[in-house]
Amino acid sequence: MKSLKINGESRDFPEGLPETLSALLDLLNINHATVVAEVDEKIIKRIQFSSTPLKSDQSIELVRFVGGG
Amino acid sequence: MEPLKIAGRTFDSRLLVGTGKFASNGLMAKALEASGSDIVTVALRRVDIENENDDMLSMINQNRYLLLPNTSGARDAKEAVRLARLARAATGIEWLKLEVTPDPYYLLPDPIETLKAADILVKEGFVVLPYINADPVLAKHLEEVGTATVMPLASPIGSNRGLQTRAAIEIIIEQANVPVVVDAGLGLPSHAADAMELGADAVLVNTAIATADNPVAMAEAFQLAVLAGRTAYLSGPGAIGRKASASSPLTGFLRE
Amino acid sequence: MQTPVSYQNFSDLWTRHSVFGERDTWQDRLDAVTCHDVEQALQATPGIYRPNRLLTLIAPAAQAYLEDMANAAHRLTVQRFGKTISLYAPLYVSNYCCNQCLYCGFNCNNEYERCRLTVEEAVNEARIIHKEGFTDLLLVSSEDRQFITVGYLCELAQQLRGMFSSLSLEIHQLETSEYKQLFEAGVDGVTLYQETYDPEVYAQYHLKGPKSDFNRRLRACDSFGLAGMRKLGLGVLLGLTDWRLEALALGMHGHYLMKQFWRSKISFSFPRLRPANKVQAQQFDHLMSDQDLVQMLLALRLCFADAGLVISTRESARLRDAMVPLGVTKMSAGSKTNPGGYGQKDKTLEQFAIDDTRCPAEVAHMLKTKGIEPVWKDWDTGFHA
Repeated sequence: MKSLKINGESRDFPEGLPETLSALLDLLNINHATVVAEVDEKIIKRIQFSSTPLKSDQSIELVRFVGGG
Repeated sequence: MEPLKIAGRTFDSRLLVGTGKFASNGLMAKALEASGSDIVTVALRRVDIENENDDMLSMINQNRYLLLPNTSGARDAKEAVRLARLARAATGIEWLKLEVTPDPYYLLPDPIETLKAADILVKEGFVVLPYINADPVLAKHLEEVGTATVMPLASPIGSNRGLQTRAAIEIIIEQANVPVVVDAGLGLPSHAADAMELGADAVLVNTAIATADNPVAMAEAFQLAVLAGRTAYLSGPGAIGRKASASSPLTGFLRE
Repeated sequence: MQTPVSYQNFSDLWTRHSVFGERDTWQDRLDAVTCHDVEQALQATPGIYRPNRLLTLIAPAAQAYLEDMANAAHRLTVQRFGKTISLYAPLYVSNYCCNQCLYCGFNCNNEYERCRLTVEEAVNEARIIHKEGFTDLLLVSSEDRQFITVGYLCELAQQLRGMFSSLSLEIHQLETSEYKQLFEAGVDGVTLYQETYDPEVYAQYHLKGPKSDFNRRLRACDSFGLAGMRKLGLGVLLGLTDWRLEALALGMHGHYLMKQFWRSKISFSFPRLRPANKVQAQQFDHLMSDQDLVQMLLALRLCFADAGLVISTRESARLRDAMVPLGVTKMSAGSKTNPGGYGQKDKTLEQFAIDDTRCPAEVAHMLKTKGIEPVWKDWDTGFHA
């Protein structure tokens, strides 16, 4: 079974992994423009979202700006 | 009045504002406007996959405000550095409020991890504004590694207790070669005025504005207080009366 | 009010903010100080430097308030230093000099037989000093680059380290790397007088030699601060020009050093021009009165709670005794300002004639009668080899 660790939690993809990071964001309904992404602790630039392929068992961090002091 | 200068940039306002704890993003944006602030802090958090969130960042006009990402949530230098790089990757902004708070109760900053992280981040080209406890020696160490300011707390985050660390802040202000921004624990505009009267270069306020019944009005009050405090400081306040005690003459010998 | 600015070194700061660049303005400001201003300044919490506070306390208007200033300075000093005064002795190792400074007995144009001490001779002098009870030694030399090299000084420092708990230098200006070597050898302090912060006056009195470079001189304290020296000693030669403007300069310099070298402690000395071989008092237009000297010392104390204030044997016994309760923290005693002066019978060339010729034991006794503990040993590094 293909799965990814997203924000610390394992998620299965029975229908197969999204091909790219960009596709994953679309699947999760996350706005590309305001999210920051790391794949296996490496920061991915926004322009590279659609050219970053995903592999099973990768660890993905999706972070955005929120209010803070 | 002379503007605030940090890392070669000037700002008209000496009030920095945080964006957390507001009831809504809309209210937050209105309060920012009322505050007259030029520098606004934001945090980075994991996206909540299950829920849809308002996009807070779109409510902040980045042409008007300098966005200052903070590393809140970081419990050690490694996490802080990681958050810093993420923030920079997202916005291209190199300014950073360095916040390393392993203690989840009082959110007190870790001096050792903060200094470690500051050293790394300054070398990576960040403009680092470190949040610290009011420790004068730590402040000098941070200045030495090249931080753009020091930001000592007045009292713990969210406590609204005002200048509990007054004596130490006075020393930091006396000894600093970088701007001193009093951050955290300022609960009332009078606290902010007090900090400015001591000679602080700026203050950072979040909770007191965000959790007021009327955040917009409170933001305006803080703006006025910071202005009043700074003006008072610059006008050379009259001394608080002190009685000299008499003793036998020490300079009589000059007349012999 | 000052916005914090980074300066490369003090010469950088002074180029932008020299009081001597705007003499008249500063003179007007001094003259404009009123009694009310002085009273206000005296009411404020003492001991923190503000340029305006120093200006007020050295102004002519403050002369009428010397007693109040003295009381405040006394209280502050006792609070920060206790009822103590440290004692030290100078050890002159050479009077050969390559500089032509018109106020100094060691002026290279001054035809007089010179002498210099070998390391062994210097150590012997030091032993005599040590026997008097001193553990705080100031090594002094004219700019004798042929012989008094960094190597010589390091060797001397290493030999003296065991005998003295504190070794300071008052020698010609060196580079940071050289000061670092000396620090490693056991020196923990450097005193270096700017002589005057007025570039024009400086040029008048320093005609020849490396010391004639005014801007380089301004950077000296940065050099030894960077080398890690714990004690940074400042001063001007009082009498070369208007003491009030010099005091303002000293204040700026001291404040700058305190912020730049926050692990080190600053001190101010107050050398007033003294008669020396071929140096006559009549040559100088700005000789300082006792009253002015007292005012300057008090003003600096009230702006620098923790700075050392040093009065040497240049001054008379009477004046020194009277100044003890005014904020002084360090005094020399039984000084000889000629190389070999402690041991040799023949009189070699002195830098200047001292006035208070009492022996150390007498000075210590005087302090005790005034309720002051004479401190021979302040601290120990403990970690130097």
